[in-house]
Amino acid sequence: MGQNETAHAGAEDVGGGEEFDPIGTLTLIGIYFAILVLAWVYIYYVEFLGRDLVVVG
Amino acid sequence: MHIHAYEKLWLALSIVLILALIGTVTYGAVGPGVAMVADTQQTVDSGALDEDERFSEPRVEQVGENEYEAYVVAYQFAFEPSPIVVPANSTVTLHVTSRDVIHGFEVVGTNANTMIVPGEVSEITVETDEPAEYGIVCNEYCGAGHHVMEGKLHVVSQSEFENRGGDSA
Repeated sequence: MGQNETAHAGAEDVGGGEEFDPIGTLTLIGIYFAILVLAWVYIYYVEFLGRDLVVVG
Repeated sequence: MHIHAYEKLWLALSIVLILALIGTVTYGAVGPGVAMVADTQQTVDSGALDEDERFSEPRVEQVGENEYEAYVVAYQFAFEPSPIVVPANSTVTLHVTSRDVIHGFEVVGTNANTMIVPGEVSEITVETDEPAEYGIVCNEYCGAGHHVMEGKLHVVSQSEFENRGGDSA
């Protein structure tokens, strides 16, 4: 088992290609990222800066 | 060390998020000029506000071309003057102090919001836009009548402000 993993990892490094391909995780992280960016733009630029009487001093 | 391409991608994204967060706050300070309530004001004797030249007579006064200063006193359970009348499209600096306990000063639905500490003067500068009427609430529990402690901020047109005469200016 251990030997297999070692051999496997070696082959991957030599080839440079990615055999492990967690596309689902990448998609989830992409969705989280988009939600974070949208929520943040909304909270800061729309809700906060868009309100009256912004304190400037 | 081998790092998966996807992992590099989301590490990079998280760094972008951090930089964008810092960038947003920097933009807020440099662009719209968003500022914090500072503690640079001189202290006052909260027990003798009626002898203080700024607070003996709570009022709004003109100090520049389009600049106004408002001196506001909070006490259990009201704000003075009420309403605070300021002209539209001007820069207004509110100096707020308390003569008894800690109060809050929140112009409802706006970003103007500060604590009022007896002996300290909270100074916030805001830019008014169109005429509007705002409510002011105390948002620090200040005693049995806290829930009824409210004030008014009236932003009126320049002409209406002048027509009110010299009483508030």
